[in-house]
Amino acid sequence: MARVITITSGKGGVGKTTTTANLGTALAMRGSRVAVVDADIGLRNLDVVMGLENRIVYDLVDVVEGRARLRQALIKDKRLPELCLLPAAQTRDKDAVSPEQMVELLDQLRNDFDFILIDSPAGIEGGFRNAIAGADEVIIVTTPEVSAVRDADRIVGLVEAAEKGTPRLVVNRIKPRLVSRGDMLSVDDVLELLAIELIGVVPDDENIITSTNRGEAVVYDQGSIAGKSFLHIAQRLNGEEVPFIILSDQPGMFERLFSMFGRRRS
Amino acid sequence: MSNLINIKGGRDGLRMRFDDTAEWSSLLTHLGHQLTQNRAFFNGARLTLDMGERAVSEAQLAELLSLMQQHGVSTTALNANDRGARSAARAIGITARPVPTPREVQTTSNPSGADGDALLLVRTVRSGQLLRHSGHITLVGDVNPGGEVIAGGSIVVWGRLRGLVHAGALGNEEALVCALELRPTQIRIANQLATTPPMSGPHVPEIARIEGDQIIVTPWEAYKK
Repeated sequence: MARVITITSGKGGVGKTTTTANLGTALAMRGSRVAVVDADIGLRNLDVVMGLENRIVYDLVDVVEGRARLRQALIKDKRLPELCLLPAAQTRDKDAVSPEQMVELLDQLRNDFDFILIDSPAGIEGGFRNAIAGADEVIIVTTPEVSAVRDADRIVGLVEAAEKGTPRLVVNRIKPRLVSRGDMLSVDDVLELLAIELIGVVPDDENIITSTNRGEAVVYDQGSIAGKSFLHIAQRLNGEEVPFIILSDQPGMFERLFSMFGRRRS
Repeated sequence: MSNLINIKGGRDGLRMRFDDTAEWSSLLTHLGHQLTQNRAFFNGARLTLDMGERAVSEAQLAELLSLMQQHGVSTTALNANDRGARSAARAIGITARPVPTPREVQTTSNPSGADGDALLLVRTVRSGQLLRHSGHITLVGDVNPGGEVIAGGSIVVWGRLRGLVHAGALGNEEALVCALELRPTQIRIANQLATTPPMSGPHVPEIARIEGDQIIVTPWEAYKK
């Protein structure tokens, strides 16, 4: 039976889709059977980030409305046979699906996978409600910005009210140099406010932009510090104890890591 | 508040008790006055109405509800011992039940301090969450930015207070606000309002109260001397 994990944030543009794609890929690389579900109906882009856009024939709404069977709508990943995508509809909106229908859909998927990751839309309305309706666990993604953290706090309250347990936290796009200068919230600042369990810290990394544009997960990129961070989150989801990469205040430490990987790649 | 209308808080929310014998029209006038005067406390509130032994008609009830609605107050249920009052409420679509016996009331409301009406909670008040109570509130936990705590009495936060607080929201100027870290986005006591100046450095427990016609914040160590 699959664990259903919803990735959400409240605020848009903090990296939900990137996180979903990379965690799905990382879990599949480590041998799990994974389905990633795009619950952002009307603004789909998980397929684009995964480079599977051109293979879509049927989508989530087609399945819910009975035009297609689940098997027909699931798209196999380009590289990993254990990884599948259930794309969102692009020509409909959030109201096309109800929370009950989402739960039913996930129940159909559960038997065939180890993990089902749901990419939630931003906001706290219907789309978000759909995305958490069938979740066993919730991961909240935030960036170290006051506005994103404020929204994350709101989401923690809503997730707890929906009796989905206490969500876990990914702090995305941290810039160690700005943090050490005192110009950016630190991970500790974020944790102090949200007071939930940390499952990952992902540093800001230009590789994300290039890999997203290529439609390839950054976890394939051995030289990417962000890719490594996502791999670690996947391991922690599997119950492994992985120490957090220390993003040192000392100027140099982080850059050294970068340049080391950089050299190996060239 | 007054003898005609009493407001009480418990675990299950706020309860408004109407005097059994006073004339209906003077009750309504009085209520309208109270709702206007204590707008900050009542706006957005959800109340249970307690009619005691009074017999109210459907028309009277409708009149009452529209007055409440004008002030942003919604009604969750009606307690009445009069059968006619209960069926009138149900006809309008409100849950109705007999007035709970004092024993039941006691178990739902909190054992207390001077006002017999204090609430102790252990939790975090997060952004978008609102805590409202007619008496005092003691919160063991943080109030995050975007969270709100509104009390008829004083507010004690054993934690970081960074959201919005309103103590003495029913007009009590003696109400206090204290916190281990007192940095609310806005602090209101009765009809006074203040914001927290941006500052850094170590935080000490502080206490806020009205002195003269403004809100004064003092470190706890200095206050107790």
